[in-house]
Amino acid sequence: MENITKKIRAIAKQALINKDVDKILGWKKGDLWSESYPAFITKAEEADTLIWDLFCINNLSKFLIKELQKHDKIGIFIKGCDSTSFNQLLKDHRINRDDVVLYGIPCEGMVNPEKIKKIMLNDRVTGIKKSENGFTLTSKNKTKDVSGEEIKYDKCITCISPNPVVYDELLGDEVKNKEREEERFKGVEEIEAMTPDERYEFWKGEFQRCIRCNACRDICPACSCVKCVFENQNAEISGKAKTEDEDSFFHIVRAYHVAGRCVDCGECARVCPAGIPLDLLNRKIIKDINEVYGEFNAGFDSITPAPLVTFKLEDTDTFSKQGGK
Amino acid sequence: MQGGIKLRKIGVFVCWCGSNIAATVDVEQVVQEANKMSGVAYAADYQYMCSEIGQNMMKDAILKHNLDRVVIAACSPRMHEGTFRRAAEESGINPYLVEIANIREQCSWVHKDKKAGTEKAIALTRAAVAKVTLNTELIPGEIDVVKKALIIGGGIAGIQAALDIADAGYKVDIVEKTPSIGGRMAQLDKTFPTLDCSACILTPKMVDAARHPNITLHTYSEVEKISGYVGNFNVSIKKKARYVDMDKCTGCRICTEKCPSKKAKSEFEEGLKNRGAVYIPFAQAVPNVPVIDTDECIKLKTGKCGLCEKLCPSGAIDFNQKDEMITEEYGAIVVASGYDIIDLDKFGEYQYDHPDVITSLEFERITNAAGPTNGKFVRPSDGEKPKKVVFVQCVGSRDKTERGKSYCSKICCMYTAKHSMLIKEKYPDIEAYVFYIDVRTPGKNFDEFQRRAVEKYGVQYIKGMVGKIFPEGKKLMVHGVDTMSGETLVIDADMVVLAAATKAKSDAVDLKRKLNISTDINNFFTEAHPKLRPVETASAGIYLAGACQGPKDIPETVAQSSAAAAKVIGLLNKSKLVNNPCVSAVDESLCSGCLACTEMCPYDAISFKNIEIDDHGQKIKKVVADVNEALCHGCGGCTVTCRPGAIDLKGFTNKQILAEVDAICR
Amino acid sequence: MSLDSNIANKNEEFKPLIVAFCCNWCSYAGADLAGTSRLKYPANVKIIRVPCSCRVNLNFVLRAFQHGADGVVIAGCHPGDCHYSTGNYHTRRRFSLITNLTEYIGIEKERFKVDWISAAEGNKFATVMNDILEDVYKLGPNKKLRDARWKI
Repeated sequence: MENITKKIRAIAKQALINKDVDKILGWKKGDLWSESYPAFITKAEEADTLIWDLFCINNLSKFLIKELQKHDKIGIFIKGCDSTSFNQLLKDHRINRDDVVLYGIPCEGMVNPEKIKKIMLNDRVTGIKKSENGFTLTSKNKTKDVSGEEIKYDKCITCISPNPVVYDELLGDEVKNKEREEERFKGVEEIEAMTPDERYEFWKGEFQRCIRCNACRDICPACSCVKCVFENQNAEISGKAKTEDEDSFFHIVRAYHVAGRCVDCGECARVCPAGIPLDLLNRKIIKDINEVYGEFNAGFDSITPAPLVTFKLEDTDTFSKQGGK
Repeated sequence: MQGGIKLRKIGVFVCWCGSNIAATVDVEQVVQEANKMSGVAYAADYQYMCSEIGQNMMKDAILKHNLDRVVIAACSPRMHEGTFRRAAEESGINPYLVEIANIREQCSWVHKDKKAGTEKAIALTRAAVAKVTLNTELIPGEIDVVKKALIIGGGIAGIQAALDIADAGYKVDIVEKTPSIGGRMAQLDKTFPTLDCSACILTPKMVDAARHPNITLHTYSEVEKISGYVGNFNVSIKKKARYVDMDKCTGCRICTEKCPSKKAKSEFEEGLKNRGAVYIPFAQAVPNVPVIDTDECIKLKTGKCGLCEKLCPSGAIDFNQKDEMITEEYGAIVVASGYDIIDLDKFGEYQYDHPDVITSLEFERITNAAGPTNGKFVRPSDGEKPKKVVFVQCVGSRDKTERGKSYCSKICCMYTAKHSMLIKEKYPDIEAYVFYIDVRTPGKNFDEFQRRAVEKYGVQYIKGMVGKIFPEGKKLMVHGVDTMSGETLVIDADMVVLAAATKAKSDAVDLKRKLNISTDINNFFTEAHPKLRPVETASAGIYLAGACQGPKDIPETVAQSSAAAAKVIGLLNKSKLVNNPCVSAVDESLCSGCLACTEMCPYDAISFKNIEIDDHGQKIKKVVADVNEALCHGCGGCTVTCRPGAIDLKGFTNKQILAEVDAICR
Repeated sequence: MSLDSNIANKNEEFKPLIVAFCCNWCSYAGADLAGTSRLKYPANVKIIRVPCSCRVNLNFVLRAFQHGADGVVIAGCHPGDCHYSTGNYHTRRRFSLITNLTEYIGIEKERFKVDWISAAEGNKFATVMNDILEDVYKLGPNKKLRDARWKI
């Protein structure tokens, strides 16, 4: 990881000095050892603040839309999930490929500080190091060995794109995700197994915590409409009062609007301040598309048309007794 | 528009429809409730709103009460929407400010309980009032019409349509894939029910088509790409290289006689005879100019030979010719691409690979005096005259398995009767047997024709199917069953003729994609309405003629061709076409330029454009979607693909439909 | 089978409300044919005409449930026969996902039906409406996704 950090700093410095790019998007360290934040730098000296560690979870692609309105060319460091997000933004014609220089970094998964806290409880952890079978957590009194699965983000454990799928330069060797890709839909299946009333109570319980902060929408690479249907009074879909139905509608409609375009980066669930498991909604749709219309991974390229704007004559459906034609 | 909604003055007219509505809906109560609905300035009822008195009542009310939009609660809009729109227009109201509530077919006729029926009629009327409140004036646009027609296919269907259109004074192009026009009819010997010689009735029409000043033939050509819309189709046609200069060729045929490469099977002769690499498909071909088959020509493949070039007295052979691509504009297109018969490889029980088991088309060539046997009816295997001939009907037709086709091929009963009569006429000593399931002879003089085969010519009709054919020495043992007597029987036939099912041409699917019209599960082109619109397709400006739309015989084909021609003439007669105004429109302030709508539009009616907008003082360049109103058919699929709702469908806007939902759910 | 007079089965008068979106060229014509053939189905079904089944947006369905519908039906042409050539292929994909999604949220799948009804299938239209009414009747009024401020 330190190697990559060195490379990142060197590349950023060079790019800004040579004026290859006007701005670099990367990550920098936060106040706590377990926090890394997005960093936007325009001066070569600032390049030394850039880092690459186990906490660089933020998906930076979405910022490109706004930044490209202010700058002509931007360099961005991207992980695998960030690169699929980038492809999705390209497909939606929100950015131009030529305006961006992509520095891809293969990623073995990021660590979730909340999970560390749960394991170590009152023992305040001060550091983390990679070990043979996973990681070693150091606190004031002791060290503890944990496996990757125990502390990585759930979405990283079932990641299907650890390596960037599009890049101009690749930093580091490609990695293989040793964790369990096939468990990607486990959460979805658990909900499918409930009765309709149980399901409704579950989701009602989740949606009623929604404060409509729109964090999920803001970070989502598939949500890039200049005026969201929920902001448009003429669309008559939601007002300002907090009601059960309209809060549910936000999530149902958003899940449908990103159907076939969601790259499963998992950021929506991560940024939700109320802890709503939004990925369970998006993954349900991904699972359905895979099962009924063929496996489709949005974001793996920027040309394949999305499943909901194409069709096959032999398509089946989930509602009539016989499908196809 | 937000904020101040203009106060509407809606008129609601509820129809009794005699007792059709009034029996199960309390019409007066509907009027009472309508008067309470927001925006309604006047409500009335009458017994027959569509009658002249009813319409006048509506017009008077519009003028007297200054109404600006109208709701009619009556029969289905599919019946009288046009009627009421016209009546409203005559009173000065834009015809698209009229809405119909269907309280007959979908209410009074299907519900027994008067209370429930009345409640529903009120709800439906409320929905129509809510929708019409949001209707906007729509004005249909105008499209120019190119006064030229394209006919795809040069068989009897295409030729007939071309002659009719050309005689009406319009220019027509026929594009034909093979080197000559004529199609299937040119291959036939005699035609039922008159037993006219097919070539004798066809060739004068072929010559007329070639000579007509308004008709241009593009033979050995194919349609490559079609874009545009009714009145303005833009078509690219590939004219394949003939390697013969059409202006110089005199049709003397020295080249075709002397060509040393004689391995190719003649398509026209159904493979029963070989042809050269340079060939004219048949004697009366129009145009009377040969083509060179690039796969068989020794000179084009190896550089050697070139005999035809040396022998041609007019120097017409030109090995340097290239395929030519031309682009033309047309106002209307007629599809007359014809049919094929099915491959018999899945019907092994009939032993089709035996040379003496032939299809009906091969039979036509054998009995044709210009055919491979010069009209002598002999066995292909040894050239001997057969003594017993068995005809098997329904080979692959009316077949519910995947081997064959589920439909009846329509022409086989008649042509089998014709075939059996032709050989009995020439060779009365031949025994002819026909195995059939049913005999279908619905046309004029058809039944008399078939009965003649039985009664006058002694053809033996056996009601039963053939199980299997076993070749035994020189004979073909046909094992069948006679269901009238219940016994199996074996006939030692010398020849077997199979009435193979007709099927759509293999390039029908390719052609339909180019034209953007539909085909059914059997790949026949679908007509706009099976009973009332048999020659139109769902796409305006594209018409159908002949067997490409479904199996049919020559009389029906000619009738359909003339019908298609009449439609084309009606279209080309217009100086301007009025298009449907219920099309999509883009709100550029909401559009993000993601262009998902352009990908899903069934008519490719949406493209994009660059605009500059003023965003808080900053000039920003933006890509937005752009709808071609002439191409848009108004399906509304784009409005759902568009997530922010930037594209909306006039006449069925999002707000209108939501208002209808609200009104119904009250 | 008609349920008009079967109200005595429930302790309160449950009058289900079914909103049906029918495409102008096939299913709406099929509904008209059911009418001209004088077939019977209950008056609880109210039809909204759309040009094509691909016009129906998820928002409309949610709005119907929000404002008191107990069931929603979307009826379009059979795949391959769409008057707008490919419109209903999109309907098919969209609503396969949407019906699954609403079921996942907890709306009983019997309440939300999508079907293909051609202009010649008056019988099928009546059957589909009767069937969904029977199912919705058994399930009872829909309380999920309702707007508490709307008339209950």
